[in-house]
Amino acid sequence: MPEAPAPPSGGFLRLFRAAPFRLTLLSLALFAFAGAIFMAYVYMAAAGEARRRTDAEIRREADSLVAVYNRAGPAALNPVLVTRMAGERRFVYLFLAPDGARITGSLAQSPVENFTGAPTWTRFSLSGPGVAGRPQSIPARGLQLRLSGGETLFVGADASDDRDFIVTIVRGLWGAGTLLVVLGIAVGLQASRSFTRAMTGLTDVVTAVRNGNLAARAPVRGAGDELDQLAEGLNDMLDRLDRSMAAHRHAGDAIAHDLRSPLTRLKARLDTALLDAEAGRGDARQALGQALDDTDGLLRTFSAVLAISRLQAAGEAPNAVRFDPAAMVRDMTELYGPLCEDIGLEIASDVSAGLAVRGNPAFLAQALANLVDNAVKYTPAGGAVRVRLRRMASGEIEISVTDTGPGVPTADRDRVIQRFVRLENSRNLPGVGLGLSLVAAVAEAHGGRFELGDGPGHFDGSGPGLRAAVVLPSAP
Amino acid sequence: MKILIVEDDQPAAEVMARGLLDAGHTSTLCPDGLAGLEAARRGSFDVMIVDRMMPCLDGVGLVETLRREGDETPVLFLSALGEIDDRVAGLRAGADDYLVKPYAFAELIARVEALSRRRETGSVLTYLRVGDLEMDLIGRKVQRASREIDLQPREFQLLEFLMRHAGQAVTRTMLLEKVWEYHFDPQTNVIDVHISRLRTKIDKGFEHPMLETIRGAGYRLDA
Repeated sequence: MPEAPAPPSGGFLRLFRAAPFRLTLLSLALFAFAGAIFMAYVYMAAAGEARRRTDAEIRREADSLVAVYNRAGPAALNPVLVTRMAGERRFVYLFLAPDGARITGSLAQSPVENFTGAPTWTRFSLSGPGVAGRPQSIPARGLQLRLSGGETLFVGADASDDRDFIVTIVRGLWGAGTLLVVLGIAVGLQASRSFTRAMTGLTDVVTAVRNGNLAARAPVRGAGDELDQLAEGLNDMLDRLDRSMAAHRHAGDAIAHDLRSPLTRLKARLDTALLDAEAGRGDARQALGQALDDTDGLLRTFSAVLAISRLQAAGEAPNAVRFDPAAMVRDMTELYGPLCEDIGLEIASDVSAGLAVRGNPAFLAQALANLVDNAVKYTPAGGAVRVRLRRMASGEIEISVTDTGPGVPTADRDRVIQRFVRLENSRNLPGVGLGLSLVAAVAEAHGGRFELGDGPGHFDGSGPGLRAAVVLPSAP
Repeated sequence: MKILIVEDDQPAAEVMARGLLDAGHTSTLCPDGLAGLEAARRGSFDVMIVDRMMPCLDGVGLVETLRREGDETPVLFLSALGEIDDRVAGLRAGADDYLVKPYAFAELIARVEALSRRRETGSVLTYLRVGDLEMDLIGRKVQRASREIDLQPREFQLLEFLMRHAGQAVTRTMLLEKVWEYHFDPQTNVIDVHISRLRTKIDKGFEHPMLETIRGAGYRLDA
């Protein structure tokens, strides 16, 4: 596996350009927007709650003072105020006479301007001792009331605890937001880095193949995700392409090899015929006739080799249709009937009805004809050939030809399917040894297989016979 | 018979023309599809031989165009790399027959002559007669010299095809294609046996044999 070359542009820049990083940024922005709304809501809820709490305390304090006033009059309220001012730091007070003169209080003047007499809430500042003795402005709230005798009472309270509370909340929210953004960017970078690495693997393979290196394969990380599926798909595609190209190369070589010897033979025959004709010996017409026969054989070999290579390279049957092979099986049996009768063989078909396969009828007919041909050729007179179409227990469709001939020894079965292999005892029979290879190629191109098995066994001095079957998937 | 050969392989076309001339047919050669189309539009031919792969306009395009223009001249399609899909494409375009290169010359002549005959007998026949051999296509009966001959259904079809092409050579591949309707090369003498059975039935007991074997080509039924 060649090492992936460095990406053409800066690696880090590439990370930011990667699709997952952009997606992360987008979702992060959406998330931050939602977070901001949420934080604003929390802030407002918390701040409102703190103010309500302070206001309630102020209201309670004012109510108790009003109660004292109503019960005992202004003269009683004054000492209460004085006591409370001395004792508690939380509240500030201001008690004004009906004419506006200050009776008592911890404030110089009321922060309420344009007082109409109705209870009025206000927000103001207190100055108090800050850090290192420096005076500090403290937020405060207050309520001003008109008492029944015309006097004015103001009660205020330090609201800095509220502010502290709000500040804590805001700080917490900021912290959470920052953490969110940082984590989001980190996750985005990580995701885009692994994505980019995987994509680089794929694009490198595409580049390598484009440059002619068909051996390049994409790394599969084992995560089983879409990228792995894409890598596996790409690798599978390249494997098929590679096989197909190899098959084509192989076909070219095979055709050249297969045709060389018959062509050489033909040339020798013609040479001899020419010499004979020049010398006035022999019959030139007979030699030409024989040469013509040789050419026919050559053409037959040529088309068989071509058909096998095509099927192997294509890996599938061209122009496949769904059809019932029953008629084809009967036709082939009928086609060979007279020939079998002439040479003393019994031929019969055994056809199950209502089956369907998907394939090219012409190729399948040719394959079946080759099988019957083979059986007829190798079965001695007095024997039988049976052509059968049935559904197997596995659900597959079997088209088989069984004979009572000598059969093929188990050890040789794989070999006879190879091209041009002919067993020792068949040398004197016509044929080029391509028949079964073509059958195997047809079966494989149809997603099926070619099986060679035992025939019916020994009887009457013959056997054990051969069962040659094309097994195809049943068409739905 | 006048034949138009549309073939970009010049030597092959010339050999073809010479062979056809020996068989008594004159031919016109066109090196590409466009020239072929013009020639076909100008002259009237009995049969056209059209190569599949050609410059300018390929065979399929040529035949499709002619058929669209209403030209029904029989077309024999030639293809160098013959395969089933090519055959289907050619026949779908409107060709009448199909031959794969390299072919035996006898096969080409036989198919060309079969095509020309087909046009002459365009109407539906109910009765065939070759010499003293008669075939009733409706009653499915065959007689020779008024003697009834009993034929199997397939033998009847075989004889019908031979009678329709009486006087012409027909090849084994043609018989398998037209009578059995299977397109492959019959490996052994499987067709020969069918013919010899038929021959026994129609020629036995008659002085003059009608069904003869032609070496390197096939068979011919003649009066």
